[in-house]
Amino acid sequence: MGRAWEVNGLSPHAGFRDAAGRIVLTRWREMMSYRDGTLAGDDIEELHSMRVSSRRLRAAMDAFADVFPSRSFRRYLREIKRITDTLGDARDLDVAIEHLASLIPDLEHDDRPGIEGLIDRYEEQRRTEDAQIRALFVRLDDEGFAEDFERWVATHTGIKVSRLRPEPPEAS
Amino acid sequence: MAKPRPVSGIDPSRRIRPNARRILATRIAEVYEYDGVVADPANITALHDMRIAFKRLRYLLEIFGLAFRDDLDPFLEQVKAMQDLLGDIHDCDVQVPMLEAHLAWLEEQEALSVQQMLTRTRQAPQPADEAAALERFRSRLDAARRTDERPGIHTLIAIRHGQRIVLYTQFTNEWRRLKHERFRQRLETALGLR
Repeated sequence: MGRAWEVNGLSPHAGFRDAAGRIVLTRWREMMSYRDGTLAGDDIEELHSMRVSSRRLRAAMDAFADVFPSRSFRRYLREIKRITDTLGDARDLDVAIEHLASLIPDLEHDDRPGIEGLIDRYEEQRRTEDAQIRALFVRLDDEGFAEDFERWVATHTGIKVSRLRPEPPEAS
Repeated sequence: MAKPRPVSGIDPSRRIRPNARRILATRIAEVYEYDGVVADPANITALHDMRIAFKRLRYLLEIFGLAFRDDLDPFLEQVKAMQDLLGDIHDCDVQVPMLEAHLAWLEEQEALSVQQMLTRTRQAPQPADEAAALERFRSRLDAARRTDERPGIHTLIAIRHGQRIVLYTQFTNEWRRLKHERFRQRLETALGLR
């Protein structure tokens, strides 16, 4: 799972509005940094990290909800929730498949066909989830959601992502 | 899932700390609202809602932690441990019905396969050798059925039931310990709420 990114320029004495912009935009960029890896589908940890980041973003939005106009806030939060939920369905299946596969070596011979059958079924369901994830991101791209979201945060907090420059933590 | 209670008196033009105090005070109170109801292990919804309340508190401590002089990391670790424990209980509560649904699905698949097999047998020409035909029928019936897949699922359900009992006991022990160690009072003091 990816580590949370440091929030640039955040001080203990920061204004609530300023902190909102810095934290929400950092969590947003953090989440989107896993997008390509999630869509490639070669490593299930990319999707996991993206989901965790989306949860951090939602939590940050909830914490600073009072900074934003309530109607537009609900609309953006709903879209972020949709990302979390779509990734969550795929993640739940990844976890279940991994867990079931780890049980097999210790199971009695008679118990194995059932677990193997269940894994097959989950793997089939998991393949359909990839299409859902792809469709979601195609739609968000078509709607220009990323630019729109960053502009919306900047408008209400005064923090622009181009000046904040969120970056991933150095690999340790 | 229980919705978070709205927090009044937030002023975005002020600094983080006074606003964070108000929000955290409300979320701490929400966790403790489940104190009585989770004493019943069958109260699945309350246990799930308490997990969500712990999760909200955990994220807020992460977000607002830097605004406080006291180190909130030890509190954060305990909140996360409770969230994880309740998460494991929730996994069991979700998986058992899913496995039972899978058993029902196996039965449906089996009924469908047997139906198709019977239709094919009816449409085939009458065999001369009845004994051989009966043997062939039995073998096709066995292939259409999925009896070998059920024991593993029943075993998994039993494993999950057992884990649920152990996890719930761990949870009640931990919850009792937190209360005994006056976790809420210490956290509220660290946040300047007392």
